[in-house]
Amino acid sequence: MNCDCTEKISSLIDGELSPAEANELEHHLLTCSECQEAKADFLNLRSRIAEFPVSFKPVSQREALERILGKQKSARPVWRWVFNPAVAAVASLLIVGAVIALLIYPKLKSSQVANREIATVNSNRNNQTPKSGPATGGNGQLNNPKTAPQKKSPPPAGTEKNKVVPNKKRPPLAFEPQPDNIALNNSQPDGEAERVRSADAETMTAIHFQKSELLLRSFRNVRLSKTGASSELEYERKLAQKLIYQNMMLRREADASGDAQVASLLESLEPILLDIANLPANARSADVKTIKDRVERKNIVALLQVNSTALARALD
Amino acid sequence: MASHDEEFTMLFQEFYPSLCRFLECLLGGRVELAQDLAQESFLQLHRTAWETLPHEQARFWLYRVARNFAINEFRKSHTRYRLFDRVVEVMTPRSRNPEEEYETTERKNLVLTMLRTLPEDQRVALLLREQEELSYKDISQVLNVSESKVKVDIFRARAALRERWSKKAKSYGAGA
Repeated sequence: MNCDCTEKISSLIDGELSPAEANELEHHLLTCSECQEAKADFLNLRSRIAEFPVSFKPVSQREALERILGKQKSARPVWRWVFNPAVAAVASLLIVGAVIALLIYPKLKSSQVANREIATVNSNRNNQTPKSGPATGGNGQLNNPKTAPQKKSPPPAGTEKNKVVPNKKRPPLAFEPQPDNIALNNSQPDGEAERVRSADAETMTAIHFQKSELLLRSFRNVRLSKTGASSELEYERKLAQKLIYQNMMLRREADASGDAQVASLLESLEPILLDIANLPANARSADVKTIKDRVERKNIVALLQVNSTALARALD
Repeated sequence: MASHDEEFTMLFQEFYPSLCRFLECLLGGRVELAQDLAQESFLQLHRTAWETLPHEQARFWLYRVARNFAINEFRKSHTRYRLFDRVVEVMTPRSRNPEEEYETTERKNLVLTMLRTLPEDQRVALLLREQEELSYKDISQVLNVSESKVKVDIFRARAALRERWSKKAKSYGAGA
């Protein structure tokens, strides 16, 4: 690197030198092997960068133009695909149902626990109230209702079976089931349930990716005949129908938790699952091939494999 | 208005693919994001500047906005997308022929990896020069810097890539 003309060579190959400078440098190049090498390297670099292939689909270009000229709010497509409105309606209902179920189930569970506790308390109180009545039998405090509950009198022998151990340690009035107490008592189990759900979601996503990967591999291997591929597609179709709803739920969860990578992959997977699930019994070879091509183009199988492995490792 | 839309359509059809490619190289191979940002750039142009901007300037305007979008996106999601970038590095569009597919993937990955080592200014200037074939003057308009900076950035980018490429070639030679 003794020759200091390399910067000029960079300008020369860009056509940015004046004719006189260019002429002078061309003469220099005839005798300087170092500069010849630099020029060749720069041109080689240029061809490598300029040959970088464009990765876009003409269809998406057309759609993008329509979106822009249609003056939509955002050019970023929320749904990259258009699907049957009936399917959309059913899917929306299912999603709403699933979300409601997810929200309500833990509350129901906790309210059941609370009810059980209330029932226990009530039964305990019922058991304890009569003991200050006739069962205690003529000790003078019998007719004084104010003092009766404060006395620690031994429980009657006949109620031994209904006795609840924790209640025994506390005075009966402390058990009055206030809403705050119930919430407080249940706060920890709820927290645990939250954590479990989150870990479950990751596990479910990893399993979902594996299942989807297997499905797509199997779908890729479906042999196409002239009359169609109906008999071979039955399994794939049913599996896709099963997976699509789970896919939607997991995608929403990933969106909500801000896991953009998983959400993006699930979003790419969704239209493919829908297409497979909606294939008619006598699907045409061309339709199947179109879906296969999309699976190939998106490299979805490999992405599923990589992500399921990554998730499994993270869970380990 | 219709003629405006027609002109815009022509501009879109002419420059959308190259804007996607420019963004893909800038973002280190994130194809989908590149397409989203390209669309966002065209949408901005259509909404805000198309009526007032001289149409011969539209191309430069687009590259400037797209570059700004890319920088924002890159900074915003650098950490979140690290794994995704690695996946994308490996997974590139496939052709039918496995050998051809492998070569294309290798070529693309090599270019992306090399470009990623450059400072952002140099990378943008070099891409605009080599892929879009803009002159130094045009590039200086896009980037809003002086022509001499563009000239120096492009030279430095080339020199750095040349050095890395030769090191890589030597290491392959030594390995073989």
